[in-house]
This record gives sequence, C-alpha cells and structure tokens, in this order.
Amino acid sequence: MGKVDLNFMPNVPVFDANAALGRRHDKRVNVDTVEGTIAEMDRTGVTKALVYAPHGAAYDSTEGNQILLETIGNNDRLIPQFCANPTFDKIDDFSKSVNSANVKTIRIFPPLHNYPFAEWVVGEWLDWAESENIAVWIPVNYETNWHGALDIDPTQLHDTLKNRPNVNVIISEIKYADFPWIMPLIRSLPNISVEISRWVIIDGIQRLINAIGDQRILFGSRFPDSPMSPQLYNLHHNDLSDSSLKDICAGNTERLTGVKVS
Amino acid sequence: MIESTPIIDFHAHAGNWTNRAFPDNPEVYIKQMDITGVDRTCMNCIWFGDANWANNLVHNRFVSAYPDRFIGVAFVTPHYPEECIYELDRSFDELNFKFLKLYPDYYGQSSDADGYKPIFEWANQKEIPIMCHGRYGTDAPGTTQLKRYEKFTKDYPKIKWVIAHAGGGTELDSVKTAKELPNIWLETCGSGNPLNAVSYAVNHGLSDRLLFGSDMPIMDYRNQIAKVITADISRDDKKKILGLNAIKLLNL
Repeated sequence: MGKVDLNFMPNVPVFDANAALGRRHDKRVNVDTVEGTIAEMDRTGVTKALVYAPHGAAYDSTEGNQILLETIGNNDRLIPQFCANPTFDKIDDFSKSVNSANVKTIRIFPPLHNYPFAEWVVGEWLDWAESENIAVWIPVNYETNWHGALDIDPTQLHDTLKNRPNVNVIISEIKYADFPWIMPLIRSLPNISVEISRWVIIDGIQRLINAIGDQRILFGSRFPDSPMSPQLYNLHHNDLSDSSLKDICAGNTERLTGVKVS
Repeated sequence: MIESTPIIDFHAHAGNWTNRAFPDNPEVYIKQMDITGVDRTCMNCIWFGDANWANNLVHNRFVSAYPDRFIGVAFVTPHYPEECIYELDRSFDELNFKFLKLYPDYYGQSSDADGYKPIFEWANQKEIPIMCHGRYGTDAPGTTQLKRYEKFTKDYPKIKWVIAHAGGGTELDSVKTAKELPNIWLETCGSGNPLNAVSYAVNHGLSDRLLFGSDMPIMDYRNQIAKVITADISRDDKKKILGLNAIKLLNL
C-alpha cells in the first residue's frame, strides 16, 4: 500500500515567482481577482506572489501595469511585477513608473513582442536594469490567440547576456523540451536563474541543483493557468536541506525582489 | 497525516529517449515510486517501430525483473498490420500484459483511421482496455473527441477506452466525452497543468473514471501525483484516482 499525505501543505514560507493577475483578452481565466488569488494562496500555503498583468504582456505595458497596481490596491501579499516592451516603451517614463511604484522586477517578452533579444535592441534596457538593480524575467514563451508557441532563441540569450554579468535574468517557465539548451546556458552564465513552474522533467530539481546549486532556482506556479501546489509538493519530496528548500521556495525571490515573505 | 492507499501509475514509458534526457533505468523509477508511494506502474513502450522489440523491452527490463512493481502494457503499430494480431496475442497470452497503448501520432493518422480496425476488433473480442490520445494534429476540422468516441463505443462496445492526458485538462471536450459515454476513462498526466483540472472532472461526476498517470520518464512522478494529492477534492476521491479506479478497471 502506498503511503501518502493527502493533505499536503508546505512547511516553509513560499513566495510564488510567477503568477498573473487580472483578465486576459483571449480567454476567461479561472481566477482573475485579488480575492480568488488570495484564496488559492491560502488553500495552498503560499505567502506572497509576484504578479504581472496579462494585458501588459499582450497589448500595452503602461496600461497593463497601471491596471495591475489598481487591482492589487493595498494588498501586501501580491507584489507587482511590471511588463515592459523595450521596442516601444520610453525608458525614462518607464523608469519613473517603476520607481514610483517601488517595483524591483520586470518581465519582457521578446518572441511575443516580435523582437530579437539582442544587444542592439535591449542594450539600453539592460544598462538601466543593471544600474537600478532591476531583475529581468523572460518567459521562454507566452501564448495568446494571435501568437503561437514560438520560443525565445537560446543563442540570443547567451550572446547578449554573456557580456552582461551584472544583470540578474530569470528565465521563466522552462519546460522539459528546453532541457537541451537551458542546462548548458545556466552552467555557462552565472547571472541567470530559472523559474520552475513548468519544470516537470524527471529528477528536474536535482538536475538543476547539481548544475547551478540552490541559489538560482525560483519556485513559481504559473497561476492562474496552473495550480500553485504541485511543484511545491515536488520540492518537498526531493530530500532538500531545510535551507535549500527555503531558498528555492522563497529566499531567492526575496533576494531579487527585496521583499520579505514574513 | 500519512495514509495507506493503493497507488497505481497508469501511464509510463519504457525505452531510453536520451536525446531528450529521458533515461529508462528501472531503479530510477523505483526510487521515485518509493518516494511518492506509488505501488505499481503500468509500463508501455511506444518508441520503437518494432512492437515485438518494444514489448519484450517492457517485459524483460521492467515486468519480469520487478514483478511486484511494474505492469506490462502492450503496443502495436499499424505500420506493420501483418504483425499486429500475432503480437497482441503474444503480449496478452504469453507476457500477461494488462491493456493496450496506441500512439496514432507515429502512424501519421488519427485513431479512427482504417489501419486500426483489426486492432480494435481484436481488443473488442478480448475485452482489452485501450489507452490512446484523444486528439491529433491530423484531425479534420470539426473533429471532436465526443464524435470520435461515440463511434468507437458503438462499434466496439466491449472496449474500455482511456483517453491519455485528458483528465489533467479542463477541456470541455474530454470531460464532456466521458460524461456522455460510460466506457470512457480519463488519465491525468501532462506537462501542462491547468488550474482545477482534476477537481473540474470530479465535479462533473467522473471521480470513478479518473486514473492517475505520470508519463515517466518524460515527467517526474512527484509533479504528476501532486496534481491529484493537492487537488481540491475529497480524500476518498483522491484515493479512487490514485489507484482504486485502476485496480477496478484492470481487475488487479
């Protein structure tokens, strides 16, 4: 008979490094409100969540980020992450909005926004991120009804970031099919971390730790498209030390965002 | 609180796929099964053009080496129709496999192509369950799982059909298909992990026809079993999905 805990809850503080908040244009998401998000966080033992606005990804970062702030209101468990489009947004205005909202991380979407992640496109923004100590999240892909599953070019990531050792970049939503390129990339560039909401490959956690240690791995859920618990369950069943578990579940995201979970 | 309940993984693969970093070392499976509490794993091998070779691999590397931990699942390919019935007879009569896995994507045609008819007729006569995907890239516009399986369940009423990966999704199509057709089961594994997928199916009355699957070694047992364990459903329903339903379906 299998032995199993059917009422699993995490036993460390949890900071979800990959959640969206708000409505999408192309479908009705399962949860699109603060109340619904907090309810799922309570049910699954997630303390805080880093959230971005889907509208900022799909249509307009300025409006999306504004909607995000208005939606969050004064809820201190939801930490805003701003979307950016380096090919359209004015960096001075964007910087002001980031400072005004005390935002410490941004999310960019090169395939979705149809630009190469190359120095001649994003160089100025990486200068700014470095100078302001802003961490940059880059999802491998972001699908909408008008944008299919075109993934980011790993060579562009490598060639651009190898000359940017002081910019913190988090490759988000890495998945099993990305294994052949993500592993050499993170071994090659120590300023790259990974967010693991879609990382379900066999022994995936141990493989990452063996490659880069426990300081560059961030728990994330991809909520509300995906639930918050399964990857937490996996992390709690990987024979991790208490400090590794705490760092992956929250500590590493705390360090990048400057926000403590408790 | 740790509880005892039978746990059967309905969907795992044998055969190395090292180009994708998927090894099939049985000891790795058993280690993860022990961590997650999985009692037995149903093993198929769909990665060879030679079904005889594939089924022998399942039997020799897994089932006969660890008979208490692995259950054999047969595979045949309609690319070689002249071999199918012999291989089916051998797999079930000699190797004692428990159900059949088909993978029409490799055939380049969906499961309602004519090449599958002899296989389905054989399975219907022998009352062998079949696990298969629900949709394919080759599907004609307007194809739905409900239409497909309405025909299957009418033409082959003694087959219990398991739609692979379907119980892990909130797709109306797969849940609707299982609601309409009593001979349909839904299996839960998948790299995507839609919110509320398992509870959605349970809330539509399908708790007796959901089957936990892992897709090992492509995916990790821990992520996949967590979909069921952490779902917002009753403990009794979790136990059904984790193993009791599979035991009933396969007469284990």
